[in-house]
Amino acid sequence: MSKLRLRSVSKRYGATVALEYGDLDLEAGEVHVLMGANGSGKSTLSKIIAGSVRPDSGIIELDGKAISITNPQAAREFGVAIFYQELSLAAHRTVAENICLSQLPSTAGVFLDRQKMIEIAERRIAPFLDVVGDGFSVNTQVGQLRADQRQLVEIMKTFAQDADILIFDEPTSALDRAQVECFLNLLREQKAAGRCIVFISHRRDEIFDIGDRITIIRDGRTVSTKVLSETNIDEVLIAMVGEGEAVAEQQSQSLPQRTEIGEIKLVVEDITNDSLQEVGFQVSAGEILGLGGLHGHGQSAILRTIFGVLDLGTGQIFLDGAAKDLNSPRAAIRNGIAYISGDRRRDGIITDRSILENVVPVYALKKHLIAASPNTLGKKARMALELLQSKYESLAHSIGSMSGGNQQKVVVARWLMDAPDILLLDDPTKGIDMATKKELFNLIRELAAQGMAIILYSSEDAELLENADRILVLNNGKIVRELKGSERTRYNLYHAAYEAA
Amino acid sequence: MSSSTAQFLTKARSHITNLSPNPLIVALCLIAGLLVVGEFLSPGFASLPQILRLLVVASILGIVAAGQNLVILGGREGIDLSVGGIVSLSAIIAGNVMSGADIGILPAIIACLAIGGFIGFLNGVGVTFLGIPPLVMTLGMLGVLQGLLVVVRQGIPSGLAAPALSSFVASPLLFGVPGIIWLWLMIGLLMALLLHRTVLGYRIYAIGANENAAKMAGVPVRVVRISLFMMSGMFSAIAGMCILGYSGSSFANVGDQYMLASIIAVVLGGTPLAGGKGGYTGTMTGAVLLVVLQSILTTLNIDEAGRQIAFGGTLLLLMVFYGRGQSLRI
Amino acid sequence: MDATLTSRGNWQSILGRYPFVPALIILIMLLVFNGMAEPNSLSFRSVNGLFKTYMALMFLAVAQTLVVSAADVDLSLGAILSLVNVTVVTTIGVFGDGPLAIVAACLVGVFVGFLCGLLNGFVVAGLNLQPIVATFATGVLFTGIALWVLPVAGMPVPSAYWRLYGGSVLGIPFIYYILAGLGLAIFLISRTTLMVKILAVGDDQQGAFQSGLPVTRIRISAYAYCGVFSAFAALCITGDTASGDPLVGNAMTLYSIAAVVLGGTALSGGKATLLGAAIGALTIGLINSLVFFVGTPSEWQNLVQGMSILVALMLGIFVSRRVEQ
Repeated sequence: MSKLRLRSVSKRYGATVALEYGDLDLEAGEVHVLMGANGSGKSTLSKIIAGSVRPDSGIIELDGKAISITNPQAAREFGVAIFYQELSLAAHRTVAENICLSQLPSTAGVFLDRQKMIEIAERRIAPFLDVVGDGFSVNTQVGQLRADQRQLVEIMKTFAQDADILIFDEPTSALDRAQVECFLNLLREQKAAGRCIVFISHRRDEIFDIGDRITIIRDGRTVSTKVLSETNIDEVLIAMVGEGEAVAEQQSQSLPQRTEIGEIKLVVEDITNDSLQEVGFQVSAGEILGLGGLHGHGQSAILRTIFGVLDLGTGQIFLDGAAKDLNSPRAAIRNGIAYISGDRRRDGIITDRSILENVVPVYALKKHLIAASPNTLGKKARMALELLQSKYESLAHSIGSMSGGNQQKVVVARWLMDAPDILLLDDPTKGIDMATKKELFNLIRELAAQGMAIILYSSEDAELLENADRILVLNNGKIVRELKGSERTRYNLYHAAYEAA
Repeated sequence: MSSSTAQFLTKARSHITNLSPNPLIVALCLIAGLLVVGEFLSPGFASLPQILRLLVVASILGIVAAGQNLVILGGREGIDLSVGGIVSLSAIIAGNVMSGADIGILPAIIACLAIGGFIGFLNGVGVTFLGIPPLVMTLGMLGVLQGLLVVVRQGIPSGLAAPALSSFVASPLLFGVPGIIWLWLMIGLLMALLLHRTVLGYRIYAIGANENAAKMAGVPVRVVRISLFMMSGMFSAIAGMCILGYSGSSFANVGDQYMLASIIAVVLGGTPLAGGKGGYTGTMTGAVLLVVLQSILTTLNIDEAGRQIAFGGTLLLLMVFYGRGQSLRI
Repeated sequence: MDATLTSRGNWQSILGRYPFVPALIILIMLLVFNGMAEPNSLSFRSVNGLFKTYMALMFLAVAQTLVVSAADVDLSLGAILSLVNVTVVTTIGVFGDGPLAIVAACLVGVFVGFLCGLLNGFVVAGLNLQPIVATFATGVLFTGIALWVLPVAGMPVPSAYWRLYGGSVLGIPFIYYILAGLGLAIFLISRTTLMVKILAVGDDQQGAFQSGLPVTRIRISAYAYCGVFSAFAALCITGDTASGDPLVGNAMTLYSIAAVVLGGTALSGGKATLLGAAIGALTIGLINSLVFFVGTPSEWQNLVQGMSILVALMLGIFVSRRVEQ
């Protein structure tokens, strides 16, 4: 008998269907992978099980009995714990307080039993002790931790609830390889202990490594469930995008012709600041320069420094041979630099505003516009959006009504309304479905072919290897290796990244 | 609290959340309803001259609320508690500069706008460059202004409105409608243009909705935010002059009542305090609604205690109708 | 790591654990200035007087901190204070002025404060209204009720009440027993699981909800406790002014917010210190007394006070922000 069964669960927000038809069977002792494009309904399905989203219809059965999960507290009592993709941490509370938050140990039911809390927290930290990195202790405030460390705290918090059903919604997106390995080992333990685990990830190696079965969601419907050992990535991808589209995609997959690399556009000399050490390199027009290495070792910092977000420290930046003082994003934009971040919620989308308002700000800055006429601007915006084949109802619609992938397309369109000379890509496809990823990289290669200088950081090695002409491997804020031509192999990339680590 | 109470709460919530009407329409309906009720209680309440009188009062509140609206739209807990102090200060300064002569009107306007703008500038600099939360910065500024008013009152007489200003505010200008109402409508139009037809307007919404993303897209966040506080100061200064025209001479702390009333008008008009969405049209109806409500309570002929209780209760009721936030479980 | 980095790190951890340290430094500086301007201002008598006058604001600041911790705010607590003040005074008038009657009246007052807080919690958290405007509305409501209870200021309290508040027990001024009580309350509340939960809600409401915390109930509790502490403040003010006044507290609401911020609490929630709030209230008192003692002309006093408070607010926030970065 299944541990947990979902039957035709649905959820809509106004006109938007978040989940049309969700069916799921979870067995005790299995890792059940949920896979689907962004906005296909994975997170909604998870949150319905966790009680934080109210389903419109459908049946949930636990051990064969129909239950109603009215809120996260109820879910906890039914033995459900969840890792939230957007994390559920209190930034000013300590690591220990966060790990124990839902079941704070107390004396007399009133006062916090700090000793016991720290014991519990330390027990949960123990398996990760070697990989948590610097500045991590039970008493550190979570807000002072790095992104990967915060993600680990959310993982520990999830495990701390000792639940029978564990849901992990993209738990590894900010983790490096060693941290992922640690986490996957714990998952294996939990699996052996008979717990049932829902696992969501966009990283295919993890999925095939840890998963037992996979359920694929497409456009809000669970379309099929397969045993992972009896399937392969192509079958999964085809199920994700649908039969017809997959064929069309394969035909358009041939790489565009690469033009000759042009003159040098950008020279970076000897940058040393809080996150970088003696970083120097150059990029030419028409070139895609890749930044590789373990996550969080300075790739993003390089891009944010060039874009004027981080302090330049010592060092200099030359554009077309002239030294420039890029002390703010505005200065960088005025000098023809564009920056697209994968963290679109933080850096990209202007929440709840119209698509038009999301597309035009950079253009308005470059053209020194004062008046904003929705008609004239709309025409330009539509042209930029068409380049990306974005799907949207009208420019007046809120960006919140779009799926994650389409939101990112809007952000990209923002920078293409008035083409930049230099394009900085900071893990631009993070958390985006595979179909959109492919489209975006086709576009990026095309832009390079047209003579744009591009620096690309991606947390997925495959994307770097497939797209970059050269790859600089970073370690601890330092460039440790440059991979050119035939050196660009997965082996060399791993080797260089782990060499100094 | 027992779990059954919690359940009741969630149920009550889901019932009310289901009807989430457009604030603008609700406010207009409520205004119409209140006028009918007022007419019923005291015949003549909804007569044209009386409505115009109400609109004159509403326009002063509405002009203060325009600045408040802008600051709130700009987000990052934007709020301006110093508006009341600026209104009082502007009234007293305008009264002294013009001291009853029409020739002093232009210098008075310039002086008041400059002072209002300067106070707003200080607020803006404190908020942006020193990182003081707006509530704290403008609260502290309010304390300074209140102290300043004491000093100013000791030194100079309370001043007198120029006749032209008084007649602009109180007597009919065009189609029998007083000039201040026309001024308010103009401000309404300008606000709509500013917010929806200029890049600055887009930028105001952008920093309110997601400041970091706005910065990354090249929006000069600090400049925009400072300009919002400056505009708020200037709108309050204009309102202060209008009050002077309305009452002939300035009196102690005439602006105090506008501090929270302007915030309420903005919220009743459908702009959430979180910023990033909403607009001025709603705020205008919010201001009218507030004034009509107060006026009805005055005509009811009950004592101060009853009036306050009824006012507080009605405000709560109005907010329950359409000022509610999103529930946590969606 | 060079030396400046680590020393900043130390400050960071000190401020993380004791966010009231900048407020304490400002307080000590003010004490020194007061002593320099007028040595008498640090006499036992003057200090007693200071506590006597500002004890109500200290309770009010602690009350405000409880809701600010959860990223809420209470603009009605001045009105709650007024309502409790007139309730206590009127109740004593009904019960008679025996010691038991006074105690009973105080209990009634605290209960009224609790109910007001509960109502605030219900409208803000239960009905999900924006705290600033909702508590403004309830404040108007409470003021109305206070006016209904006692339309004009001036009803006196029995002498036993204010004599006790201003007098001594066992040779120690009674005010210090109250101070000790406040200190104990701060010590205990800071150590409850509820406080951790309130702060977690203040940090990230959605996150706290998703973590399975009963967010609505937690916020309502914070408001209820806020109401109780506002009532304590009212008991102090009743002892200080020795009479009932339906509008006595209105001006104090904004001061309570200033005190909270001076104490090192962030209005955005999640980072709060109850002790700091009490220190912040004292800071305001000391600023006012300093302005008086340096001989500012009376018409300039309000301005100088206003500017000093603004500067202190800016300084405190600016310093802690610099350390955090």
